[in-house]
Amino acid sequence: MATFIVRRLLLMGLVLFGVSVLMFCILLTFSPERRAAAFVTSPQQARDIPKIIIQYGLDQPVYIQYYRWVKEISAGNFGYSTVAVSPVSEAFMRYLPITIEMNLFSTPLIIIIGIWLGTQAGIHKDKAIDQVTRIFAIIGWSLPTFLFALLLLMIFYGLFKLFPPGVLSNSVEMFIMNNPEQFIRYTGMYVVDGILNGRLDISLDALRHLVLPVVTQVTVVIAILVRVMRSSMIEEMSKDYIITARAKGADRKTTCFKHARKNALLPAVTVAGWLVALSIEGSVTVEVIFNRPGMGQWLVQSATQLDIPVILSVCMFLGLIYVTTNLIIDVLYAYIDPRIQLS
Amino acid sequence: MGNILEIKNLVVNFYTYEGVVKALNDVSFSVDHGSTFGLVGESGCGKSVTARAIMRIIQEPGRIESGQVILYPETVDGNGSVDLLKQSEAYMEDLRGNQISMIFQEPNAALNPIMSIGDQVAESFLFHQKQILCETILSELSDGQHRPSKAVLMCLKTIYGKAADDGDSFFFKLLGSVPFLRNWDRRLKSVAIRRAVSLIGKLGIPQPERIVNLYPHNLSGGMKQRIVIAIGLASNPLLLIADEATSNLDVTIQAQILELLKILKKDGISSILLITHDLGVVAETCDRVGVMYAGNICEIADVREVFEAPLHPYTRALLKSVPKINQDDRLASIPGNVPNLVNPPSGCRFHPRCMAALPICRHEAPALVNAHGRHLVACHNSSVA
Ligand SMILES: Nc1ncnc2c1ncn2[C@@H]1O[C@H](COP(=O)(O)OP(=O)(O)O)[C@@H](O)[C@H]1O
Ligand code: SF4
Ligand SMILES: [Mg+2]
Repeated sequence: MATFIVRRLLLMGLVLFGVSVLMFCILLTFSPERRAAAFVTSPQQARDIPKIIIQYGLDQPVYIQYYRWVKEISAGNFGYSTVAVSPVSEAFMRYLPITIEMNLFSTPLIIIIGIWLGTQAGIHKDKAIDQVTRIFAIIGWSLPTFLFALLLLMIFYGLFKLFPPGVLSNSVEMFIMNNPEQFIRYTGMYVVDGILNGRLDISLDALRHLVLPVVTQVTVVIAILVRVMRSSMIEEMSKDYIITARAKGADRKTTCFKHARKNALLPAVTVAGWLVALSIEGSVTVEVIFNRPGMGQWLVQSATQLDIPVILSVCMFLGLIYVTTNLIIDVLYAYIDPRIQLS
Repeated sequence: MGNILEIKNLVVNFYTYEGVVKALNDVSFSVDHGSTFGLVGESGCGKSVTARAIMRIIQEPGRIESGQVILYPETVDGNGSVDLLKQSEAYMEDLRGNQISMIFQEPNAALNPIMSIGDQVAESFLFHQKQILCETILSELSDGQHRPSKAVLMCLKTIYGKAADDGDSFFFKLLGSVPFLRNWDRRLKSVAIRRAVSLIGKLGIPQPERIVNLYPHNLSGGMKQRIVIAIGLASNPLLLIADEATSNLDVTIQAQILELLKILKKDGISSILLITHDLGVVAETCDRVGVMYAGNICEIADVREVFEAPLHPYTRALLKSVPKINQDDRLASIPGNVPNLVNPPSGCRFHPRCMAALPICRHEAPALVNAHGRHLVACHNSSVA
């Protein structure tokens, strides 16, 4: 187990190194002038571009720039974000909670609903629930995220004025801005902070703004999990050990849930982990459309404005999430399946 | 000798995309009390479907269309019969693994790969012997060394006492769905595992205490088959159905398992329905034999009759195809193919391959009739020997 973890950590380092080199090389295809222009905020400053290039060493060979970047990062200096108008690390702490909060809702929902629906659809193959989930899955999977999100917005905000975009209502936001001592931002996640500050109304307001983004995230991703779980369940139900269990006298509930489902979970776990990573990356689209100032929105703005330190750091962060998810899947897999030994 | 099981006119179809597979076409036979009945036939002739129909565990898209499966559980003289096809699913759940149990062809697939051996064997006890387990716990509570406090003891005694009376009552269903409280049966599980250990030990598996903590992939095929047998034997069934239980094992293990079944039959299980395609196994272990072809019973007789004076052309062809050790001529195989059961041949399903076919065989299926003694045969031309 220990050797497994060590090996995986080494591998993780390797993957992150790969991601950083790749990102770095892509970004360096822009000319030093273009990259220097990112620091320029007014026409007058444009004259200083050559100076900026020399100051930041933007025309030096790739490996020197990479080495310098790694050195800075190891010292905890992630650079300055011109988009956020603050150091990257500071902006990170501001944007991250918004994204985490959204995914803290959608991830468990994807896993729980996906596995539950898939199980039911598999048990009741070709019955009503199977047909309904099939339609639901096709819609969720075939509509692009942005289109689905816009449709939701149109219906539930435009038409019914139920679930607005953004993170908080204007009045609540004003209140928090004007009374920082009455609303302490312990975590940066408004739902949690609302509870911690004893302001359930703020929590509720934040929740109201979370509904559509979370529904979007869950719907566009869950289809695959439902289908995988369904077919895996159908396959397991036809296996010989199910006959053994029934011949033993097991009732339907025991055969379906105690025997078949646990086996059927094995392929679903892999897919679920992959989908969760996908969904976290999908935060980018969702945040842009629902106007939530999180990591995703920040990344998009930084990409369009060539805010290089941000692009590098956020991509590294997404890479980290991806490898961590994989690690969790492997551990979980070994936990469920005794045939797999972590070593 | 009375019957323990009687199957009458059983018809089973599978509704597949290719059409209706007429897997069992009017199958009738009976198994005597205390005997071993062998069901033989080429693969695909419907032996497994028969076995599963008896236990009513035919998988989708199969359906039992008609017939009777009568069990005479009470006494040797056959009082008290139940038609299993008319019973509720709950009745069948109670019966499966209890009065009738089954062991399977493929030990590698028959066990749940991610459940420990102990848990899989213990399940049988938990399904069918809750009362006995509860009584064991109660007696241990009364004279155990590590006594819990008085109040806890009272509580536990009430719970297990109640469970011993009626473990399936609403109260326990409720209890089973409450987190934490649902752990009340953990004690039951550990007692069941203890019984599993002793059962596995009795079947000649070394170190049963260690084995129960292992998983199927840790064991060899022969060991797995012993575990499957242990599961089948957990509740001392009246009838054990062994569906090709030795076919996929190598010869020495096969002999060991057959020997084990013989011993078990001597001191325990009343009757065995032994399904096989191996006539050698039949000759060695069975009292009576039924020969199946393409969803029909061709011939039923005592084992010596079948081998010495077979009446049905298919039985004779089958016997000719068995390789004999001190015989150097080629294996005679039956010409033609096993028929497709979506569109089975008309009349006698064997007629396209039959050497003795008569014109009538093409359009009229022969009935299973008593030729002499207890020798039944279904053939228009059975007199030709
Ligand atoms: N699940 C199923 N779906 C469709 N047909 C089946 C199914 N199970 C069995 N059959 C059909 O029933 C017939 C008998 O099968 P089976 O009883 O398994 O044969 P065997 O004598 O080898 O045990 C076969 O011809 C097979 O095509
Ligand atoms: S009934 Fe006719 S075809 Fe069938 S086995 Fe007898 S002789 Fe052959
Ligand atoms: Mg079979």
